[in-house]
Amino acid sequence: MGDIRQSLLPRDVLSAAKELLYHLDIYICNLVQSGRQPPQVDTKTLELVEEFILHAPKDRNAPPRRMNALQELQLLEIMCSCFQEQSRDTVRQLMFSALFSLQGNQADESRMALLGKLVSMAIAVGRVPILECAATWLQRTHRVYCVRLARVLVDDYCSLVPGSVSTLYNIQSSSPRFCCQFITAVATLYDLTSEELTPPLELLQMIVSWLQDDPRLVLITFLNTPLSGSQPISSLDLTPLGGLVRWCVKAPLAYRRDKKQSLTNGSSECEPDVGPLFSALHLSVLQVFMLLPNILNEKGLFGRLALLQMEPLAALTSDLSRLLDQADKHTHSSSTDTHALSQLALDRLAQALQVAMANGALLCSREDLRAICSRLPHNNLLQLVMSGPVMYFNNIHTPPLAFSPHASHSPITTHPTHPTHPTHPTHPTHTPLASHPSSHPQYPAQPFLSGMPFPFRPSH
Amino acid sequence: MLKDQAMSVVFDGNPLKAMQSSHTHTPQNALSTQELYQEIKSFISGVDTVQGRKLSVREHARCAVRLLRSVPACRGAVLEHLRGVYDEHVSAFLHSLETEGEASTGVGSNLEDIIQEVHGVLSEFIRLNPRAWAPLVSAWAVDLLGQLSSKHAGRRAAPHSSSLNELLQLWMSCAATRSLMEAYSQCLAAMLAWCPDACVDALLDTSVQHSPHFDWVVAHIGSAFPGTIISRVLACGLKDFCSHGTKDQGLGVMGGDKGSRVPKIGSVVGILGHLAAHHSDSIRRELLRMFQESLSPSGPLSPSSSSSSWESSPQLRRAAVPFLLQLAALSPNLLGAVSAELVELLRPPVLLQLQALLQGLPREELDNMLGLAVHLISQSPAGGARVLRFLADTATPASVIISGPTPSPHEGVREACDRLLQMLLLHLHKLVYNRLDGGEGNPHHSALSQSQRVIPFLEELQAHVGELCAETLRLERKRHLWLHQLLCLLSVYGGPSVATEALCQLLTQARNPEELALAWQLHTPLSACLPGLIPAAVARCVAQIHTHTLGPRQLRQLLLNLAAAIQSQDEERRGAAGTQSSMAVQVGSAVSGHLHDFCLLLLHGDPAVSHAAVRLLSSSPLPRTCSPAHLLLLSRTAVTHFFLALRRRGEGGKVGRDGGQAGEAVNCSVLLLSRLGAYSPLTLKSVLQQLVEGALHKGNADLFGGQIADMAGDPPLSPSMSPDLGASLLDINCRFGTTVNFSGSVWSVFHAGVIGKGLKVRAARPLADPAGVIQNVQTLLAVTVQCCSSSGLNGTMNGSRHPQTDPDEPLPINAEAAKVIAVTLVENICPDVANGELSWPPEEHARTTVERDIHIRRCFEAHPILFPLLHVVAAGRPALCYCSAVLRGLLATLLVHWEASREGLATDSPWHLQASCLLVSCMGEGQLLPPVLGNVHEVFPYLTPFEVRLLLLAVWEYVRGNGPMPQKFVFSSEKGLFCRDFSRDGDVARYVAPIHSVLHKNIDRLGHLCWRFQL
Repeated sequence: MGDIRQSLLPRDVLSAAKELLYHLDIYICNLVQSGRQPPQVDTKTLELVEEFILHAPKDRNAPPRRMNALQELQLLEIMCSCFQEQSRDTVRQLMFSALFSLQGNQADESRMALLGKLVSMAIAVGRVPILECAATWLQRTHRVYCVRLARVLVDDYCSLVPGSVSTLYNIQSSSPRFCCQFITAVATLYDLTSEELTPPLELLQMIVSWLQDDPRLVLITFLNTPLSGSQPISSLDLTPLGGLVRWCVKAPLAYRRDKKQSLTNGSSECEPDVGPLFSALHLSVLQVFMLLPNILNEKGLFGRLALLQMEPLAALTSDLSRLLDQADKHTHSSSTDTHALSQLALDRLAQALQVAMANGALLCSREDLRAICSRLPHNNLLQLVMSGPVMYFNNIHTPPLAFSPHASHSPITTHPTHPTHPTHPTHPTHTPLASHPSSHPQYPAQPFLSGMPFPFRPSH
Repeated sequence: MLKDQAMSVVFDGNPLKAMQSSHTHTPQNALSTQELYQEIKSFISGVDTVQGRKLSVREHARCAVRLLRSVPACRGAVLEHLRGVYDEHVSAFLHSLETEGEASTGVGSNLEDIIQEVHGVLSEFIRLNPRAWAPLVSAWAVDLLGQLSSKHAGRRAAPHSSSLNELLQLWMSCAATRSLMEAYSQCLAAMLAWCPDACVDALLDTSVQHSPHFDWVVAHIGSAFPGTIISRVLACGLKDFCSHGTKDQGLGVMGGDKGSRVPKIGSVVGILGHLAAHHSDSIRRELLRMFQESLSPSGPLSPSSSSSSWESSPQLRRAAVPFLLQLAALSPNLLGAVSAELVELLRPPVLLQLQALLQGLPREELDNMLGLAVHLISQSPAGGARVLRFLADTATPASVIISGPTPSPHEGVREACDRLLQMLLLHLHKLVYNRLDGGEGNPHHSALSQSQRVIPFLEELQAHVGELCAETLRLERKRHLWLHQLLCLLSVYGGPSVATEALCQLLTQARNPEELALAWQLHTPLSACLPGLIPAAVARCVAQIHTHTLGPRQLRQLLLNLAAAIQSQDEERRGAAGTQSSMAVQVGSAVSGHLHDFCLLLLHGDPAVSHAAVRLLSSSPLPRTCSPAHLLLLSRTAVTHFFLALRRRGEGGKVGRDGGQAGEAVNCSVLLLSRLGAYSPLTLKSVLQQLVEGALHKGNADLFGGQIADMAGDPPLSPSMSPDLGASLLDINCRFGTTVNFSGSVWSVFHAGVIGKGLKVRAARPLADPAGVIQNVQTLLAVTVQCCSSSGLNGTMNGSRHPQTDPDEPLPINAEAAKVIAVTLVENICPDVANGELSWPPEEHARTTVERDIHIRRCFEAHPILFPLLHVVAAGRPALCYCSAVLRGLLATLLVHWEASREGLATDSPWHLQASCLLVSCMGEGQLLPPVLGNVHEVFPYLTPFEVRLLLLAVWEYVRGNGPMPQKFVFSSEKGLFCRDFSRDGDVARYVAPIHSVLHKNIDRLGHLCWRFQL
């Protein structure tokens, strides 16, 4: 393969790339047919790719060869058809990784750029094989690069070209695997810490619709991946659940901050309220948790695999407590509003924790929970979740609210609708699982009997 | 389905609906993936994949727009393709312009709607998501604009790149470029909020690449966003300047490869140049701000400056000053904008900061900067005077004695300024003299040198020559050397007018010989290249005098300076002939040409001025030729001044120093008069006439001990003192109804008083200072004698006399001059010319002229000066003949007096005795009487009035018998005088008899005098 370099050199940029692709195809076919395990593309070939497709500068003296945008488009089109026409999965995968596996050299930049364009174009023209390969790439690659690819796609479809979200929406049906990985990457990328890192409205809407269509979408990677323990280090999570929980919990506070900024900026665009979207998303996430026990039991993994890790959760709670502190400090005027939003966030956290624990997605003791939630202000539901459903637990751990060391942090103590009366640990049958206090502020503490099922599914 | 499910999720209903609907709402032209793929293929190949035919440009472009809307990954390629479309449109547009509309309208208009479409899409994108699209589109648009404008620059329809306005019009009328421009403006407006540096950078880069065809874009953008563009452009330029290093900054000055080595600075200059037309104020503000900020000590900076701005980098701050200098060097506009105010900023603390900032730079760079600064100063069109003052102030060493106007700056700063100033002078020197050489030496350079000839700094300073001169004359240590050198350069540069002005100013303002020497030092180098400088300067001074722009002090100073200049000539003549001599001669001749102008100043109200004037006039040579009018004017004013000077001497005698000055003024005046007298017969005559008339004028009479009296001889009475006599000449005249002059008739006894009212009361007059009177009389006589004895008339009459002159002997009085005096005296003393013939009538006939005789006698009484004057006339024989009428009248009244006198002795009426003595001695001197008769006055004091009368009668008889005729005198060449040979006249003896009788009668007392009367 290395000997074709001399014949490629005099060609113009595009035809050299084209010819290299052609040779690469043949070479990989031969490689697969030779049956050597594992099939490995040699370095010489990789260097050729870098020189003639990615145009990494070979040496300093040679003038850099560059394709103009038109040529690049042609190359992408050729690649699309190349992958489309290749019927064998293995070959395709090998070829994709020969082209786009990160090598840790300076060609990686152009590699990422080309990959972004290729995937973007594949989405537009519905090239499923490429999306499948990309899904694999997303599983194997360090999350930093995954996030970059996701960002390119979000930029392309959600912000740059208005009205093109629908194209992206379709990947749910064309390549659910890619779609799942995309959601994971996006949930990792946008951590709601700044305006920059807040998901665009279009993206949010799309993800909510996807999950409403089929909550199992987020589990596809998990379902299709054999748990060999060979998960590459710092790759994306198996599921986007952690990221999505983070979204739902932080959203009330993060969006409130954004709104306030836009108000002070004077640009009072009548953005649609994102609250209901996150509510829907939250519901979907809880539903996914509810699906887990069956799946885990099928795989024999119940209680052995934690889809929600403790470290991200700990980070989330500390973030949350910081946000709540800030909200406390900065808003004196609309305190009732702030209070409602904080309680919403805490409620969502408690719900997610409870459901995840109950369905085996979160493997930890309540001791651990109490440790990571210790800095959070008071919330009835969270209090209950931390204390657990078991009535005969020593009530030392759940001191009356009036004596709670956290009470001083909490502005909630004066909440008019909440009973200032401490909860009665002596009535274990009462596990008040508060519904959304924002939507039903007049019925804040509707008690449920312990024997009753959780109202995770709205009655209709 | 999607919607249903969404609805089912929501607890309480509808808010999701709106949002979800935005999902389902996809563009109507949404294409399936397969269709999109076909589109891409079509776009790439340019062939309709379905129908298999080639796409037209329009269709291809439409396809591209569709892809732009639907396939994000294609945007690079689409934009690239659109370049071609735009290019095509521009080509078509220009083509249709070139063929003047006769050609196709098809292509252009077809593409125009496509371009509208593209523009619509792009501007919609930018509006919806500026952050994503603005950088992309702005880069594309700028690049494309640059490419288009330079590609089509050579087209026939395109105007030349220098005519910016036409270019702008052309391109803005083209749909493609206008759309690009609009898109770029939109992007820029959006981007200025968050990354202004980037977009200006791109603009500058493109500008460099496509200059000068791209200038119209920059101009347009700049005028749309002046506030930001200016500061950004400056900041970009500074960064670029800094990164390119400052090593080649000196090259720009030489003019060879302007800006090519420092690419961005050229376009910075160009852009600011365009903006300067409308936004010069903000440009100036920005430039000055940059300067100030670069100096302000680093550390906590102004909070407004963002972290990316240049102020935060010490390296950039250090480069700011060289950068600004370089900018200014490249653009006269900017230089003009900044230079004036920059100097105001350079207070001592700022200078110290500047010094601290520049200390770190290497020597070579500093030298470059210095050279650049010198160049800039010499080129700065305005504020040169302020710059100069600043430099001189700063560079002048601090002194304990002279504390300058500004507190003394740091020594290092001072030295730097000193150096800068010297280099400036050197530079100007080169410029000025090369400029002179350039004209004739290299003809092919003339076009180039034409522009180089103008040195704006000097141009501007030409208006400040006066101030420069004043500064120079302060003789402050180094300063005056610099300024003098500068004046010299300025004079050479400005040519005769400036040189004249400078010299004139120096002449006017110098106050002592050292200062005056500066004028000669200025003249010496200039005389080589500017002939006729001194006459011009003097003429200019005269013009100043005429326009009364000078105050008395200045006027006096000017006159004294000129006088000193001329006098130096005399000194030089005595010593070795130095450089000044020729100049002194020139000044002398120049002044002599304007004597009539200067002479008016003799009568200036300020004594100091008139003194200075007389000093100048007395030292100035007289012109070789001069018009009579001027000469008369000169002599008249000179004489008037003479009397003024006498009066001032009399008044100021007690004060001391003034007295000395007044005395000197008199001396000068005497000198002037005598030189005038010697100049020509005309002037002599005029001078003498004026002198005599002046001496007798009632205003001057008291100077010479005379009474203030009218020529009738009556001292005037002050009305308050005189008792009202109830008599009025007017009444009497009216009564007779006539205006006949009654002088000589009975009615004129008004002389003595009104008939019947007794004699008029004589006013007691204050006694003049006798010593002063004597001095004045002496002075007047000295002048008169000097005039009379000078060579003015002698030269014409008898040139041969001079060799025989005995140096001890005073020169003889010139007859012709004496005649002038005589005639003038007669005119002034005799009220009428009746009986004015020279020959005398019998004594009895004197009765007919008694009125006139009384008048004459009173004149003599009122004016003691008349006798000395008569003596002078007598000395100039035969001039006394012409005084015959006066003598006769006086003698007649004396005869009457002595006849009527009842005194015992002649000495009892002293005035008459003295008058008789003087009269006779005069006549003897004038050889109207033979020596025997001429001596009779010696005996008068010893005689009785009657005897005196007898003797005087004898005199009368002699003169009657031997008329006083000038023709009786003959010139004796050995004496150089006219003499009368009495032997030709009749026998003297018969006139001598009365003398002898008187002698005989009084022999006891007159014995010792008898020998005087031997025949």
